[in-house]
Amino acid sequence: MIEVRNLNKKFGDLQVLYDINNRVEAGEVVVIIGPSGSGKSTFLRCLNQLEQATSGEIIIDGVSLNDSKIDINKVRQNIGMVFQHFNLFPHMKVIDNITLSPIKVKGMAKEEAREIAMELLAKVGLAEKAEAYPNQLSGGQQQRVAIARALAMQPKIMLFDEPTSALDPEMIKEVLDVMKDLAREGMTMIVVTHEMGFAREVGDRVIFMDGGRIIEEGPPERIFTSPQNERTKLFFSKIL
Amino acid sequence: MKYFFNILPTLLVGAKMTIQLTAVSVLFGTIIGLFVGIARVSRNRLIRWLATAYVEVIRGTPLLVQLYIVYFGLVNVLDLGQYWSAILAFSINSGGYVAEIVRGGIQSIDKGQMEAARSLGMTYGQAMRYIILPQAVKRILPPLGNEFIILMKDSSLVSIIALEELTRKGQIILTRNYKAFETYGAVAIVYLVMTLALSQLVRYMERRLETE
Ligand SMILES: Nc1ncnc2c1ncn2[C@@H]1O[C@H](COP(=O)(O)OP(=O)(O)OP(=O)(O)O)[C@@H](O)[C@H]1O
Ligand SMILES: [Mg+2]
Repeated sequence: MIEVRNLNKKFGDLQVLYDINNRVEAGEVVVIIGPSGSGKSTFLRCLNQLEQATSGEIIIDGVSLNDSKIDINKVRQNIGMVFQHFNLFPHMKVIDNITLSPIKVKGMAKEEAREIAMELLAKVGLAEKAEAYPNQLSGGQQQRVAIARALAMQPKIMLFDEPTSALDPEMIKEVLDVMKDLAREGMTMIVVTHEMGFAREVGDRVIFMDGGRIIEEGPPERIFTSPQNERTKLFFSKIL
Repeated sequence: MKYFFNILPTLLVGAKMTIQLTAVSVLFGTIIGLFVGIARVSRNRLIRWLATAYVEVIRGTPLLVQLYIVYFGLVNVLDLGQYWSAILAFSINSGGYVAEIVRGGIQSIDKGQMEAARSLGMTYGQAMRYIILPQAVKRILPPLGNEFIILMKDSSLVSIIALEELTRKGQIILTRNYKAFETYGAVAIVYLVMTLALSQLVRYMERRLETE
């Protein structure tokens, strides 16, 4: 589904990603962990081209993003992204947040977009909030709306960048539950998170990044219980 | 006091011209400023450079000189007359200032908004139109009101090309009776009433937009 070859990313003189190689299969749930500044966000953002890779190749669903003929907006429609700070559109009602892109980008009929949006809202447990504005919702509710908004484009891949780290502890579960459902339904997901419980429960693979490199990867159980690399061990000793 | 009410009708005729001149110029200026302001944050270097050059030239040269260039300088190419010369000069001028207001408004919107919009497949233009600009407008309106006030005061400059707005009306009255203090005092009062009314309006707008 996703293939990354020799991905390098520099911001000016600062190299943030070094020679990243990876493959994510359809339906796979990959959890990325690593210390702050290790390049986790940058890696995700390269995948949907919010950042331009300096060199290397990214292939999404058989299409190389290096190909100058591709329409990046088309590619992005297949990749949903959920942000740490939700980034809902504050001037629009919840329902309009969700239907805007299907209507304007996909040209979907209003009624159809609304129907899909209501289904998604029900799925994330917020059907009654359709007419509310984002600032009338709690953080956890906003993040669930953000997930519904991304899903409304019917993406094949979902990227999550620390979706629960801006939330109060009591709201983390409600967001993780939605993500777990999604994982069980077979969505291809890449999740940057420090929620080890989530990684254990639904993660197929954990990638540990440090200093812009993939240091170690493998099944969650193995990475968590018997990490091979010193830096991975050091990381766990700090956060656990 | 009696003198004030004597000349007031004449001054009000001038005030009407002042308001008209300012309103039309700010309207055109806003249209120009919207485009130039958006161009200022364009991803295209050339467009950005052109917009920046425009803003720098406008803000770096006196309005009076700009007016002279349009009225006297262009007379051979395009003889607009006083009224349209004034409007053209003021529109171009306020376009430069409005562009900076628009740019500030756009840049005050959190970067995450553009990223969220793009990640949903919207083009840059769609994101601007549906997400960024509707939010930026709220931050643009109050300073736009202030720009209106500034331009209204600056419009007294056109008395120099003998367009009969408020200040010019005062000058004309003065040539008949030489009561400089009373006359210009009365002119000042009329300006003050207009700008106070406007700044109240701006403040009201600010409060409304804040509570939303
Ligand atoms: N737009 C940018 N311009 C310059 N440097 C940047 C930019 N974005 C990120 N960086 C730098 O790239 C490095 C990696 O950042 P990134 O956000 O990818 O790390 P991260 O692993 O997501 O960290 P965190 O856990 O804090 O979110 C950091 O040193 C950061 O300062
Ligand atoms: Mg990050």
